[in-house]
Amino acid sequence: MNGTAVTTIYRKELLELVRDRRTLISMVLVPIVAIPALFAVMHYFLSSSEKQAEQESVKVAVPVRIGMPGLEQALTDAGFQLSPQENPRAAVEGKKVAAAVEMANGEDGQPVVRMYVDGSREASDAAAANMRAALEGLKAEQVRAALAGSGVSEKVLTPFTVSKVDVAPKGKKAKKMLGGMIGYMIILMIFSGCLYPAVDMTAGEKERRTLEILLASPAGRDEIVLGKILAASTAAFVTGCLNIASIAFSFQSGFIGNDMRAMMDGAQMTPLMIALLVAAVLPTAITAASVMITISSFAKSFKEGQSYLTPLMMLVIFPAVIGMLPGMDANPRLALLPVFNVSQLIKSIFAGDYTASAFVVSFASNLVYAAIAFAVAVRVFKRENVLFRT
Amino acid sequence: MIRVSELSKSFHDKKRGEVPALAGVSFEVNPGEIFGILGPNGAGKTTMMRLLATVLSPTAGTASIAGHDIGTDPAGVRSSIGFLSGDMGLYGRLTPREILRFFGQLGGLEKSTLERRIGEVTELLDLKSYSGTRIDKLSTGMRQRVAIARTIVHDPPVLILDEPSFGLDVPSARLIERFILEARDQGKCIVFSTHVMEEAEYLCDRIAVVHQGKLRIIGTMDELRAATGKTRLREIFLDLLGIEDIRLETRA
Repeated sequence: MNGTAVTTIYRKELLELVRDRRTLISMVLVPIVAIPALFAVMHYFLSSSEKQAEQESVKVAVPVRIGMPGLEQALTDAGFQLSPQENPRAAVEGKKVAAAVEMANGEDGQPVVRMYVDGSREASDAAAANMRAALEGLKAEQVRAALAGSGVSEKVLTPFTVSKVDVAPKGKKAKKMLGGMIGYMIILMIFSGCLYPAVDMTAGEKERRTLEILLASPAGRDEIVLGKILAASTAAFVTGCLNIASIAFSFQSGFIGNDMRAMMDGAQMTPLMIALLVAAVLPTAITAASVMITISSFAKSFKEGQSYLTPLMMLVIFPAVIGMLPGMDANPRLALLPVFNVSQLIKSIFAGDYTASAFVVSFASNLVYAAIAFAVAVRVFKRENVLFRT
Repeated sequence: MIRVSELSKSFHDKKRGEVPALAGVSFEVNPGEIFGILGPNGAGKTTMMRLLATVLSPTAGTASIAGHDIGTDPAGVRSSIGFLSGDMGLYGRLTPREILRFFGQLGGLEKSTLERRIGEVTELLDLKSYSGTRIDKLSTGMRQRVAIARTIVHDPPVLILDEPSFGLDVPSARLIERFILEARDQGKCIVFSTHVMEEAEYLCDRIAVVHQGKLRIIGTMDELRAATGKTRLREIFLDLLGIEDIRLETRA
């Protein structure tokens, strides 16, 4: 294989790419604008819905005639705004209040405090949790008073206590969740950033009738294919890197929001994390480009090429989404699955529990897939019925 | 310079099975000669050009160009040819200068030689005023000049021209004719296919008529006249195809 021919074709393809508006939009503009915008929108909706839930959750309904001493005071002390209602349940159903209490008698004649909540509303859930805590406090107070009156130590109520210790580093769960989401986004962006260049270099060349001249040039088919795959890989890799840069910028500039940052224990994207993400993205970019160049070579027009690649995008989304799910961790066999392995790798880079072996397996398997796709693409470029479809 | 021996090509069609596009064609073309290939649509002209340019592989037979066999040394063949088609095949987002550099580099030219050749062909075809303008902003005539420059930038000894004047207006077609004649004067070996009888009659040293994948006749205009008893190439062509010349009959 002639390296000069490959380099010449590679440079020509890149030059054409940077002069194509569609490619620039999908490759550069979308990652630079979309990621910070996505984080900003997420932050805005999360914080505004939280604020709204906070405000709404303090409004609770109580019966007009409360039949339990101390209840009104306990709820007021817990910060609730009480709204006396003839029908407290209807007030919750009508979304006038977040939750409600009602007094009733149990089967054994004991009083029952019934809480009405709307499980579909965040504010109602929060109100119920706070209300339960206030009622448990009131119950404990009344028990303590009764025990004190009968001379029994209140310690009989708590022969032992139970405590739970989370051994996971602080914020790891949130980091894994965010890592899964970011991994999905990066993978999707790599494939969508590669789509236009791949179609343009293959079906686009056929449509513009430049392919025949290129095939009649001294460059060999394998050199043409390799030059094109390398150029498409560069496009995919640049898209991936711009996504990573955009995510790092979002972290740095506060686009992700203080709440999310607090959940992640104030984590920042360190230079090491960025370097690891870039290294994880490289083999995926090569695989994406190789597969897309191969598939789009069968198309005779740009439009047809896009149609051929749409099912591939669906195939990519599936393992990327699975990789995003909490509790889904890679094992040696799953690490061989393209897309999924990188999604796992990105997740573990964010969580800080990646291993060198995961890197090697992911890198090596993706390169093998890329090599297979390259071999297929060369064969496709030698098939006359594919090149000269009319 | 070009030796074609029993060259055949067939394509597989799902409905029709094996469809012969070219059947046992043989001819030779010498340096400094313009060899024209005439034929109706679907006669096999483009298939022959693509076989010579090694874009397609033959089903049977062989050909050698400048000593390189199309089957065993396709890269050598492609280094020795300049290929031009009516589509021009120019990259719309590149400038003429970038296109010339691209194909010159693929042709294996050293940097200094390449720059010299780009300068020469730019001068020869008067491209200087728009050599830095993107192709998609140029007129058809300008593009045609760039396509010619691209074909000869690596100074190949053989030119394969597939209907190079297809769809062009008279001035642009005239440019192609001038280019072909000048190339012959430089000793290049030229094979070109065309539909335009006047063009073939004016330019070609020898002419071959292809019909239904087979070579019907080959020779100089005088040889063709002697073989058919007709005077004009148009009459000769129609006679070989077994079609009466309505225009002549009407006149008579």
